Amino acid sequence: MPLDTWQEQLRRGTLDLAILLTVSAGPRYGLAIIQHLEAFTDLVVTEGTIYPILGRLTREGLLDAYWVEDEGPHPRKYYRLTRPGSKRLSQMTSEWQAFSAKIDRLIHAASDGKERT
Amino acid sequence: MKLSEAGESRVNGYLFVLERSLVTSLPKDVARDAVREIDSHLRDRIAAANAIPDERTSLETILSALGSPQRVAQAYSLERSVDEAVGTGKVVAILRAVGHVALSGISGFFAALFLFIGYVIGAAFLILALLKPIFPNNVGFWVPDDPGSKAFDLAFRGGVGPGPWHEHLVGGYWVIPICLVVGFGLLFLSHRGARKFLGWWRRRHPSFAATARPAL
Repeated sequence: MPLDTWQEQLRRGTLDLAILLTVSAGPRYGLAIIQHLEAFTDLVVTEGTIYPILGRLTREGLLDAYWVEDEGPHPRKYYRLTRPGSKRLSQMTSEWQAFSAKIDRLIHAASDGKERT
Repeated sequence: MKLSEAGESRVNGYLFVLERSLVTSLPKDVARDAVREIDSHLRDRIAAANAIPDERTSLETILSALGSPQRVAQAYSLERSVDEAVGTGKVVAILRAVGHVALSGISGFFAALFLFIGYVIGAAFLILALLKPIFPNNVGFWVPDDPGSKAFDLAFRGGVGPGPWHEHLVGGYWVIPICLVVGFGLLFLSHRGARKFLGWWRRRHPSFAATARPAL
């Protein structure tokens, strides 16, 4: 598998977790979510394609979406974590940490093996 | 950055194309809500931008980061159509989702082609069952006149007389239940396979819209 395909799969697999983490601190609108992801990751390839994912997470009941009309010069659609979303986020976070720790151990074991030989 | 009349036209043109692309695959209220959200995104980006070196360049940079309206619409269609197909299992939703997946990559294309063949063959058997009472002498098993040959076709053959195939018709009205069972069976299996495939596809591409290839 080419490296870029592998990177693409990693990105796909982690984007839901990244979005849920972004709104876990409090409600955010689409552009604020994108800017937060851009500040910490390189997961956003095309800005416009984040919105359909926000829509899916809302349909799945993990996010709640609502329009705020009087905040700025134009209305903004905000997203906040629901109770099932919060539960899913803690499950996904634990899974990610466990998975990441296992891969880290593998990497360390591989580099230790190289040093010995 | 405050937009000039030309800049406003460019933004409105982008939103118009987006809405036209979205309404082909999404309910109107969902499409309108999506366009409103993208409009809000653009207004925020434009307000924060500087017209350096000029308004046109800045605006094109913003629109290019957002993605072409067709690509954004395709991402919405993929997310929603696959969700709807897996969730409801409706034939139209499944066919629409398989179509969208077919456009998103090579493996999706071949899987969609395979499923399409299953649907077509299933439908062909049902059509044969419908044609048999109307053309009793044209629908059935066509067996070669040569007794050494074991090949046969289940088909509709038009025209009068034996024709150029040197075959004769075997099969009375009992062909109808066979065609119905095989036809419905194939449609059922294709439909079930399509739903399973889309479920697998969604699990494998949890956020496939974010990296979906643009429509050809």
